[in-house]
Amino acid sequence: MKKITVAVKRGLGWFWRHKARAVVLVVILFLVAPKPVKSQFLDPCCAIMAAGLNSIGSTISSVVGGGLSGILSIEQDIASFEQTVVWPQNLINQARSLVVSMQGIFTQMESVMRIPVNSATLPTTQQFEQNLLSGDPNQIAQTSTQYTAVYGAVPDATAASPQTRDLVDMTDAAAQAAMKKAIEIDALANLELQAADQINQNIATAAPGSAPIVEAQADAWLVRANAYTQSATADLMRVRAVDLADESAAVKNGAANSTAIQQQIYNILKRP
Amino acid sequence: MVILIDALFGFFFILFAYLLIVAKDWRQVLALTLAGVLVVALVSPPSTHAQASLATAIQSVLSIINGRIQTALNAINSVRSTIEQYYKEAVWPISVINQAKALVTQMIGQYRSLMQGIFTMNLSSATLPNPTALESVIRNHQTGDFTTLATSFGNAFGSIPAPTAASPADRTMMDMDDALAMDNLKTLKESDAADDLTLQAANNIEDQAAQAAPGSAPFLTATAVAASIQSQALTQKMLAGELRQEAARIAHQNTLRKRGATMTGDVNTQILNLLQRH
Repeated sequence: MKKITVAVKRGLGWFWRHKARAVVLVVILFLVAPKPVKSQFLDPCCAIMAAGLNSIGSTISSVVGGGLSGILSIEQDIASFEQTVVWPQNLINQARSLVVSMQGIFTQMESVMRIPVNSATLPTTQQFEQNLLSGDPNQIAQTSTQYTAVYGAVPDATAASPQTRDLVDMTDAAAQAAMKKAIEIDALANLELQAADQINQNIATAAPGSAPIVEAQADAWLVRANAYTQSATADLMRVRAVDLADESAAVKNGAANSTAIQQQIYNILKRP
Repeated sequence: MVILIDALFGFFFILFAYLLIVAKDWRQVLALTLAGVLVVALVSPPSTHAQASLATAIQSVLSIINGRIQTALNAINSVRSTIEQYYKEAVWPISVINQAKALVTQMIGQYRSLMQGIFTMNLSSATLPNPTALESVIRNHQTGDFTTLATSFGNAFGSIPAPTAASPADRTMMDMDDALAMDNLKTLKESDAADDLTLQAANNIEDQAAQAAPGSAPFLTATAVAASIQSQALTQKMLAGELRQEAARIAHQNTLRKRGATMTGDVNTQILNLLQRH
């Protein structure tokens, strides 16, 4: 304690002896010492800022908040309208269920159409019938041979006139082409049934927004199917046209034969 | 960071004080004083005068909120209102949707039974027992009685003669003709059954359409198109059958022509032989 008192006295003595230095030290200490922060409550700058922020807050609340509330209300109205009127989930699910039940009907139709209809009883005709009903385009190559086995070949040049041979060959050609076309059309129809199945399965898992895309594809398939139907109809018309021409040719042949017979009778009668 | 700055400040102040105390003459004290003042002048941050600019900034923010933001929000609000109104009045008006559903229901009532009645009218016309049995079996829309069909067909049109009763060529052609005729009759029974299923599908789709929403209708139209493809495929199968049948008909006629040509040739040869003998 005595030592401290002595030290303080010595310090004060130093200050008394060096007044100018002491003043410089005090001034410098005052100038560079860290200053206290101004109070938020007492400083006028903070007060202005607080008032400004309050004003901004109330403006945001009324202008922005009010505007957003209005938009929210309309959005909720639209959402409710879309969910209850335009895309109600229960009706979408109901439509999907219908699609699934349609799949069952499709399967039944396909199984009905797959029941074999073969009816021939003799070996040659059974083989030919099997070929015609196969719906397998790879078997078209055997159709002509099997056709000839059942309906016979074009007569030899010595056995029939050229006109008759032409007629026979043309008619056989039309008949064979029609039978080959039938195999082709059966094959295409089987593929269409398969595609329709696939499309329907896609619809069952589609969303309202993607269903029109699947429908567009189905429409394209329908257009394609119409084209194949037209092609089959065209072949049917061809075979009927050949049939008509065949009938006409028979009449023509009859007329020619009658003339030839008349001529021969006339020649015989002219003989002495 | 603050503690570091405070420690640095303390260190420099103690150093400055030590140097000031140990200074030997007035010139050193003056030099240290000037150095201290210079350091204070350089290190001290300038005082701020931001009160006026702060008020301006706040006013600027307020004017942006009241101006641009309010205008934008009003515009968005207006557009959404217009869209909502457009949806409700032009795109999906509930009254028109209900009207469409009512039309579907009304048309179901108006047409379905009527058409069903027409479609299921009895068209049978045969009078004798065998044709009546055959007619009945070919029109019954069943696919499980093909054996009965074959029997009835045989009863009405006769069966293939025994090998001793007809030439092999005739028997072959008769069998082929009968086979293709029966094939088609069976195919028609299948397509009749498929027709019933197609009609059932159409009814189901129509029933569902009567309760559909604009958003669920695409499912119905899509499945209807898929059903149309199926129906088209069945039509093609029938056309294929028709093609086979027509082809067999002209093939049959052509076979007779081939035989006629052969027989004519034989007759000609025989007449020639007779004439040559005399």
